[in-house]
Amino acid sequence: MSLSTIGVLVRYWIKGRFTKATLAGLAVGETFSIIFVLFGSSTFLSFSNKVGLTTGLSEVAGSLLLALYLVGLIQSGFNGSGLPVSSSDVDYVFTSPVPPREVFGAKVLLNSLTTVLFGFPPIMVLYLRFAAYYHTPWPVAILAGVVTLVFLVIGLLLSADITISLGRGVGDRRKVWRNLFIILVLVVSLLPITLLIPEIPPVIAEAASVLPNGLAATISVGLVSGTSGISADIIDFVLLLVWLAGFLILGVRLSRGHFYEVLEVAVPGLEKFNEPNQRSRLDSRGRSLWSVVRMKERILISRTREARALFVNAMFLSGFLVIYALSGSFQSSPTSFLFILFIIGSFGSGTASRWIEKERLWILKSSPVSMRRYVKEVFRARIAPLLFYLTPVTVAVGVPLVLSELGEPSLLLGVVLALPGALEIASITMAGGMYFASKYGQSSTDDILSSQAQELADVRRFLFQTVINLIMISPLIFLVLVSETLATSVGRGSLLGLAVGLVVVSLVFSGFSVNLLLNKAGDAVSRREDF
Amino acid sequence: MVQVSIEQLTKHYGALVALDNVSLKINSGEVFGLLGPNGAGKSTLLKTIVGILRPTSGTIKLDETDIVTNPEKAKRMIGYLPENPSLYTGLTTQEFLQFVGKIRGVDDDLLDREISGSLKSFSLEDKRNSLVGSLSKGMKQKVALIATSLHSPDLLVLDEPLTALDPKTRVSVKDWIGSQTNRGVTTILSTHDLDVAQTHSERIAIIDHGKIIAVGNLDSLRKMANTESDARLEDVFLRLTAEKGEDSILK
Repeated sequence: MSLSTIGVLVRYWIKGRFTKATLAGLAVGETFSIIFVLFGSSTFLSFSNKVGLTTGLSEVAGSLLLALYLVGLIQSGFNGSGLPVSSSDVDYVFTSPVPPREVFGAKVLLNSLTTVLFGFPPIMVLYLRFAAYYHTPWPVAILAGVVTLVFLVIGLLLSADITISLGRGVGDRRKVWRNLFIILVLVVSLLPITLLIPEIPPVIAEAASVLPNGLAATISVGLVSGTSGISADIIDFVLLLVWLAGFLILGVRLSRGHFYEVLEVAVPGLEKFNEPNQRSRLDSRGRSLWSVVRMKERILISRTREARALFVNAMFLSGFLVIYALSGSFQSSPTSFLFILFIIGSFGSGTASRWIEKERLWILKSSPVSMRRYVKEVFRARIAPLLFYLTPVTVAVGVPLVLSELGEPSLLLGVVLALPGALEIASITMAGGMYFASKYGQSSTDDILSSQAQELADVRRFLFQTVINLIMISPLIFLVLVSETLATSVGRGSLLGLAVGLVVVSLVFSGFSVNLLLNKAGDAVSRREDF
Repeated sequence: MVQVSIEQLTKHYGALVALDNVSLKINSGEVFGLLGPNGAGKSTLLKTIVGILRPTSGTIKLDETDIVTNPEKAKRMIGYLPENPSLYTGLTTQEFLQFVGKIRGVDDDLLDREISGSLKSFSLEDKRNSLVGSLSKGMKQKVALIATSLHSPDLLVLDEPLTALDPKTRVSVKDWIGSQTNRGVTTILSTHDLDVAQTHSERIAIIDHGKIIAVGNLDSLRKMANTESDARLEDVFLRLTAEKGEDSILK
């Protein structure tokens, strides 16, 4: 294996990857990740305190979280995405006389470098926050972070190994293997939960600690919480390095053969479909034009990975809603709840912004349809499943919250406003996502925007979107913020009227905001000339 | 069928002048060829005619209907096929055609008949329930052609309809163009295939650097280019674009 060839490949890939635009995007993304990690870890700690969780259970949580990451990587490994490649890799690198093993080495090195680079700031912030909570010294938090980063690299190696192994006869049976392997990893990873069951011998839970996720969680959590011993940590760390070396050696051996044909080229906006033949579901007979537009949008979402992304987003928002309520943070600060919801929504609106990638604007713009109305119908089709998931959760969380606050009318008003506020913010951030995608997003894979120009447009879109969405939702947050003062000033007798009035005001405002954003989205589509 | 009148049309992309004072009249039922080197402004002209791009100045009228001031009425008359038609890959062929037919205002009964008839004539019946994303390039082109004519347009605007197609599909597409022109549809055909332009077009315009440098039938173009009376369109085209387009190599 020639290290100089690997060095050349990595150097040029880095040159191509880290443009000014990507660096700007990286800075924005990292800032948001850090804010999110701070909020998330604080919520988790108050949740742990509230329900009396122990440090031992934090290890379980860490192990489970890392197990989920591992399962995701195993899946992408079996999907052929374990070694990400671009079409220019296929055209120029794969046709060059560079041996596959060196391509493998360079790809793994680049992936590890970027993962460590991107993962370093939020992971360190996370462990520093925990170290502050447990009163452990900060160098220990850094060590814990390094262990987690080693685990991330192990995961990438495993994913790459799985992908290149597909070219060696596993491909035909890969679905069965994948499912068996994922189930095995999940089962073993979930074993620490048995600690919660009385009478179950702790040795069963110990079984999970031989896996990389169990080892990484044990060391990291043990370090930041100050509960582990040095010798045990060293042994665990050596075991973790054994996993790393094992996967590396396996990958190097597997990469001797030709594996290029199993790699999936990442093409933005291009969806893969497992089943080429489908039952036609778009029955337009007797339906209005707009009903057909909504139906088409629903079909497109359901047949692509977006359905899964939408579901995960809804589950994430729901989970957050539940944990925030259970931790008691909701009652004490409904305003912060809405603000955090906005941050999560800003990430989630990425799914909304994908709508323009799926559209074929030449068809729409050469047809006699109103773009404003078209965008509104697409929004209706997209917001419906999100509200479908979120509304029952909001009601389920809201009823006990309202009942528990009946004795505290001044706090009750904030809770009453914040609950529908969650749904309103989800709607506004989605409408905002659609507007900024209409203005800056790439409409289809054959558009003429170069990738660098598109990256810059994406950074600009994300910044503008975040600022404008924050401005649009700030009146809702403000309303919740002043609700306690308002409730105190009007007194208990007029509280119901005030609550109804304020909810109506916030709903009207949200409706107006969504309408404004969607009108602007329609106008932006009409004005686009980049195709 | 419609007559297309383009008056002093200009289109700027920032500092770049893509169309420079273009004026053309395309007669009702005529097949009008549009030729030009890469980057000459052909696609920009076609996109402006169909209302996808807004003119910087000038007017485009389909009979008396202005595409800028009355776009919805004008678009009902137009069937447009772009150079690289991207389709909704997540819809089946049937769903895609139903969707396009619906947004172009085709009546339900007529739409069903049109889809069935067109799929049959393009031998795509067995692909009715296939996802568009799973079709070959040639099949996608056929589906795009069907979508272009579902609403029986009075004006067809075809941008490079034969690019990168295999010989069999090229024959199908040529036959389709022939059937549409026999129906009397006004057709604007942009192509790099000079044989196709020569065979199908009654008149041809040559565009270069955003300007129309010659318009007429083959005989009049030969005269403009000072070529032999039996010169092929290719020679005429090269001569005209070399003179007006200042192509040093050809000179």
